[in-house]
Amino acid sequence: MDIVVSSISLGILWSVMAIGVYLTFRILDIADMTAEGSFPLGAAITAHQIVNGTNPIVATLLGFLGGCAAGFVSGFLHTKLKIPALLTGILTLTGLYSVNLFVMGKANVSLIGDVKTVLTLMPISDQTIAAIVIGTIVLVVVIALLVFFFNTEMGLAARAVGDNEQMSLANGISTDNMKMVVYMISNGLIALSGSLMTQINGYADSSMGIGTLVIALAAIIIAEVIIHNVSFGVRLITIVGGAIIYRFIIAIVLWLGVDPNSLRLFYSLMLALFLSLPLLRQLIKQRERRHQNRLANLDREEEQTND
Amino acid sequence: MTKTQTEDILEIRRLHQYFERGTVNENHALKGINLTLKAGDFVSVIGGNGAGKSTLLNSVAGSLPVDTGHILINQTDVTYQSVEKRAKLIGRVFQDPKMGTAPLLTVEENLALALRRGEWRNFWSSGVKRRDRKLFQERLATLGLGLENRLTTDIGLLSGGQRQAITLLMATLKNPALLLLDEHTAALDPKTSAIVMRLTNQLVAELHLTTLMITHNMTDAIKYGNRLIMLDHGRIVVDISGKDKQQLTVSDLLDLFKANSGQEMNDDAVLLS
Ligand SMILES: Nc1ncnc2c1ncn2[C@@H]1O[C@H](COP(=O)(O)OP(=O)(O)OP(=O)(O)O)[C@@H](O)[C@H]1O
Ligand SMILES: [Mg+2]
Repeated sequence: MDIVVSSISLGILWSVMAIGVYLTFRILDIADMTAEGSFPLGAAITAHQIVNGTNPIVATLLGFLGGCAAGFVSGFLHTKLKIPALLTGILTLTGLYSVNLFVMGKANVSLIGDVKTVLTLMPISDQTIAAIVIGTIVLVVVIALLVFFFNTEMGLAARAVGDNEQMSLANGISTDNMKMVVYMISNGLIALSGSLMTQINGYADSSMGIGTLVIALAAIIIAEVIIHNVSFGVRLITIVGGAIIYRFIIAIVLWLGVDPNSLRLFYSLMLALFLSLPLLRQLIKQRERRHQNRLANLDREEEQTND
Repeated sequence: MTKTQTEDILEIRRLHQYFERGTVNENHALKGINLTLKAGDFVSVIGGNGAGKSTLLNSVAGSLPVDTGHILINQTDVTYQSVEKRAKLIGRVFQDPKMGTAPLLTVEENLALALRRGEWRNFWSSGVKRRDRKLFQERLATLGLGLENRLTTDIGLLSGGQRQAITLLMATLKNPALLLLDEHTAALDPKTSAIVMRLTNQLVAELHLTTLMITHNMTDAIKYGNRLIMLDHGRIVVDISGKDKQQLTVSDLLDLFKANSGQEMNDDAVLLS
């Protein structure tokens, strides 16, 4: 039971990041490494603000804005300076490592003790439940705003850019600007996830971004493998489900006694498996088809000999 | 009215385009093109493979930066304007039916995008507006393909011909100053091709559009438009309009082609027509 509740709580917090990653990954068709820098950036900004007595909600929003700024940098490098998306992410990510240390002033900040976080704002004593409530509130707001935005005039243009760039240009859409907007929203959400995570875990660490992109991608792929062909809004909700399922798998693996040090290896292997599922499916289908073809040919030959 | 009719919509001055300039593979694809289109001109562009037709259209649309020369649309120099900026003045249909529409967006979403071509797009009002749906349905109904009932279908699920017809609607939805068509019926089967071609003619006439249409189909080139130009090796070698154009036959065209390029025209489209 504990495992289930904690998987739900972790899954909800991670899904904020996964939704952010989804925007660049599926709308722009870019695997944006910036994520692994904006996640700890959100955490660093929020932790630093909270320690200095800022209202936790303001501190969280500042974390979000920090992520938007990181997204702007990556978007600028990619669209205006024409640096390939993968390199862009690596550049920003590397730079952010230093930025995060500047922000925190040291490698990690603890939020244990007499500090106000979004958790302590809640009149709920059970921390895990409080985390679920906060995460759910954030998710509802985030999903509602995203669904709204991506159906506005600008949002529609942003979706077209990733879908067909030529067509977008021919219809007068500034593809560069739209990409930057998506980069900013995406990394803002990723930072927001880091910001919430740091308040719930009670610490921020400059290395907490490592491996996070793989976790987010896994949540997305699980969602897509289980349920396909859904509208944008439904997709975002299924990603929350994907993130929870993923955390549950991880919890079970840990419970089985797998060495936590090998966890990231496991993350990678699992994502590799998920990503290759469509191909595996196709191979199986092809084999079936070949088999059926052979049977059909045999039938035909038989008919001919009967004639 | 008389004034606009004599106004130059498109003016191309001494346009040169090179590919891989300064290398051994240098290809001088356009060699000093001068071309002026008056309001309402419907020009078919023909020429063999590699003659430079697409290069010419891409230069006008802005997807190919100009090496030397100038391009003016509505008396404005657009030579150095980006594609998306110029899109305000240009409607465009590509050869590949997939290129003109966004497959994951619905029919109405694609049309809504085209309806704001050249305008600022805000982030508070709905992308597809209720009052626009009526317009979309009316325009789709004119196609006679039953698409007016499929506003919320993803465009990627439609056939090439259906997509091309919608692209044509999208390109003309905002009355462009200039309509550019690059073999826009070439990828379609003969029947669909004829439908799209008829629709093109109808839209051009109704909206009085100034149009540049590349085609490999000699019959279409003769049948449609008030002017015909032939490109060969980066030069305009034939320019016929008015009465002369009306009296043109396919065999005249083949002779002209042979006289100008010293080769037989060997296109499937020609053999078929
Ligand atoms: N991107 C490019 N890079 C290098 N050379 C190119 C490029 N595009 C076109 N060319 C060359 O420029 C010349 C003109 O090509 P273009 O595509 O304009 O011909 P076209 O008249 O449209 O021919 P087709 O009827 O086959 O479409 C050809 O020799 C072609 O090989
Ligand atoms: Mg061409």
